[in-house]
Amino acid sequence: MKKVFFVLSMLFIATITNAQDKFFTKTGKVSFDATATKSPENITGVNKSTTMVLDTKDGNMQFLILMKGFEFERALMQEHFHENYVETSKFPKADFKGSITNNATVNYTKDGVYNVAVKGKLTIHGVTKDVETTGKITVKGGKISAFANFSILLADYNVSIPSLVADKVAKNAKISVDCSLELLKR
Amino acid sequence: MTSKKKKTITIILSVIAILIAAGAFYGYKEYNRKQKDISDLSAHFTLNSNVLITDFTKDEKASNLKYLDKVIAVDGILKAIDKDDKGNFTLVIGDTASTSSVRCSMDSIHNTEATNVKEGSFINVKGVCTGYTADELGLGSDVILNRSCIIKKQ
Repeated sequence: MKKVFFVLSMLFIATITNAQDKFFTKTGKVSFDATATKSPENITGVNKSTTMVLDTKDGNMQFLILMKGFEFERALMQEHFHENYVETSKFPKADFKGSITNNATVNYTKDGVYNVAVKGKLTIHGVTKDVETTGKITVKGGKISAFANFSILLADYNVSIPSLVADKVAKNAKISVDCSLELLKR
Repeated sequence: MTSKKKKTITIILSVIAILIAAGAFYGYKEYNRKQKDISDLSAHFTLNSNVLITDFTKDEKASNLKYLDKVIAVDGILKAIDKDDKGNFTLVIGDTASTSSVRCSMDSIHNTEATNVKEGSFINVKGVCTGYTADELGLGSDVILNRSCIIKKQ
């Protein structure tokens, strides 16, 4: 009987700790910058409704982005992005599934800025590619935030830029990620 | 050259000049065009938040075709007001007993309207639908409206 009780309480504790491991946001920010040196203006768009989940125990993370949520200052630029380049009606979602490869070096219970390496699969425009980048996890007063900057080759994701404007749009788009996470309560 | 011929050439040249100027003006206006204020746009669909969620849950593909990029006015109970670290507000509308919601990310120029509403009240919000996230991550499923504003009652 004692044994059963012990096992049950261990299981209970395990479930509790498990619940404390996952952090998420639904208001993560992902920005896109395809400004080339010859661009007449900045080609930048931002998505403010990115979903991200991070499991601090194993470093696994997942992002989900609704592509229609990318906003640009100029309406024409936004229309080109959605209709001609990334075809967001055909491919409304982008996602990233990966993990922090040096998760053991991050102490999620201690304030600090931790440099991390992230590896995973990014799907945009219906094309999935392996992506590796470095990023930062900051822990401040129990709040966890995740940051990363990396660039992707648009051609890798079958995003073609018409030759007429080819030198006005960067071939490598810079992606930056800024997510403030909160504890996932179950 | 006869004076008649001269006159014809002048007319043709001025027409071309006017066309070029009009084209340049149109191009300039189009290039600088900003997003329209959401509060000035009329809604393609006006419906309850639960109806919108059910539509997407039943058939995401068909609902994407129907709702994506459209201005949608939803009403429902304001479950929560999410404020991020940059001060952007998101109004979470739906059945309080359910984990599914319509999440309305406020337009920057209408952002402060979110401070005038209370959780638990019945509200009307208008925004552009950007899609649906199914409950794959254990976070509940959501329909997202972007560039939202609160519809003022007449």
